[in-house]
Amino acid sequence: MDIIRRVIRYRQLFIVLVWREFAVRYRYTIIGVMWAGLQPLSMMLLFTFIFTYIMKLHVSSYPSFIFYFAGLIPWTFFAHSLNASIPSLTNHYQLITKIYFPRELLPLAGITAALLDFFICAVILFVFILIYRIPLTWNALWLFPLIVLLVVFTTSVSLFLAGLNVYYRDVRLASNFLIQLWFFMSPVMYSVDSLSTKMKLLLFLNPLTFIIENTRRVLLEGRGIVLWQMAFVCVVITIFYVVLSRFFIKIERAFADVI
Amino acid sequence: MSSEYALELCGVWKKYSISEFFHRSVREEIVGLFKHKTGDALSKDEFWALKDVNLALKRGDVVGLYGANGAGKTTILKIISSITYPTLGSVAVNGTVAPLIEVGAGFHPDLTGRENIYVNGTIIGMEIKDIRARMPGIIAFSELEGFIDMPVKKYSSGMYLRLGFAVAVNSSAEILLFDEILSVSDVDFQNKCINKIRELKQDNRTIIMVSHNLNLLRETADSIYLIKDSTAVLMPW
Repeated sequence: MDIIRRVIRYRQLFIVLVWREFAVRYRYTIIGVMWAGLQPLSMMLLFTFIFTYIMKLHVSSYPSFIFYFAGLIPWTFFAHSLNASIPSLTNHYQLITKIYFPRELLPLAGITAALLDFFICAVILFVFILIYRIPLTWNALWLFPLIVLLVVFTTSVSLFLAGLNVYYRDVRLASNFLIQLWFFMSPVMYSVDSLSTKMKLLLFLNPLTFIIENTRRVLLEGRGIVLWQMAFVCVVITIFYVVLSRFFIKIERAFADVI
Repeated sequence: MSSEYALELCGVWKKYSISEFFHRSVREEIVGLFKHKTGDALSKDEFWALKDVNLALKRGDVVGLYGANGAGKTTILKIISSITYPTLGSVAVNGTVAPLIEVGAGFHPDLTGRENIYVNGTIIGMEIKDIRARMPGIIAFSELEGFIDMPVKKYSSGMYLRLGFAVAVNSSAEILLFDEILSVSDVDFQNKCINKIRELKQDNRTIIMVSHNLNLLRETADSIYLIKDSTAVLMPW
């Protein structure tokens, strides 16, 4: 709550920082903002090629490239947010040691820019859904709470790791490896449906598993969410957020002395 | 804390560590996550950067801080602008602060001068529509009319400085902190800045200037503090 209040107080700076993040990223590029969709789209083609044409896997009743794309969108948001936010504080040490503003604005600006990319990809996904006539049901509305969970979870992890990186630069060096590992632990290129209960429980320790699995479930398969699972994940992610954002605010005061 | 002062520092002490690693301190933070702790004892690799600094400024005061390198001048500015926090003592600030510890901090090399005015302006607390309204004044003050839509990575350091200073003095902040920023510019721009500082004083803004140049401070400041041995002493005029 503290963080939301501080961002609202400094919203003008926040808007400008997000705009800067976006403007700087696509400046001097030829295809500009199209890069946002290009990366998940090319991963999607790769997965479809390998799993559908080489390994002959059958993952879904609808076209498999949509299966992969729907998993890649939340994943890409998560990975891009971590990549943008972890070095965001240390990269701006000149700002942090010279001017006061709530430090979380820097990682949050990176996450918000990744969220804009996320919405661009979401539009592409809906175009696919329309073209391939995948029936949408009211269950698709579950997408909105799922997106909120994704953003809150991503924000907690990003703030924690970005703050820790000010003290230990190991975080940045470990992050590539960590993100890769996390990718394989998330059901982006597979589905947990066919796995044993034990394996499912193990994979559901990762909140992204719940989010990615259910994104496909509500949007592409027209099924609802298991309510007790939803409640449980909500509680877990809220605790995550409260503890990690509190940790960030606590160590934030010393950033200028440490960085 | 009475509100007659724009700015008040009471018995401010600041401890710094000379070790390059902060392992102990992050652990302290984690342990102290749910309890409050103050430390007034020095451990082996710590020193006092500020010892019992007392300052009180009224609205419209222009104060100079003068002292050798490393005496603690910039630390005082950092505490006033809450970039860092005092180990002991209290700080009361009434009004918005525009810290200029370094001119042009936050400029992005790939953005143009005009775009950077927006970034820098919001960083020092201006509203976007406010910046838009003041834009012609800022550009005119910086004398960079012909270069304002050029990426600032192509600017010279003098142009950089002008742009940063122009944003700061055209902001609506009530308290302005200038760290050694006049000594780098040419004489003409320096005079322009000195005039601008007098103008700001008329406007009842509070200004703290840090400089090694005593003559410059004498020309603009009402009173000058000598920062020596980590503490502030009022200099006889």
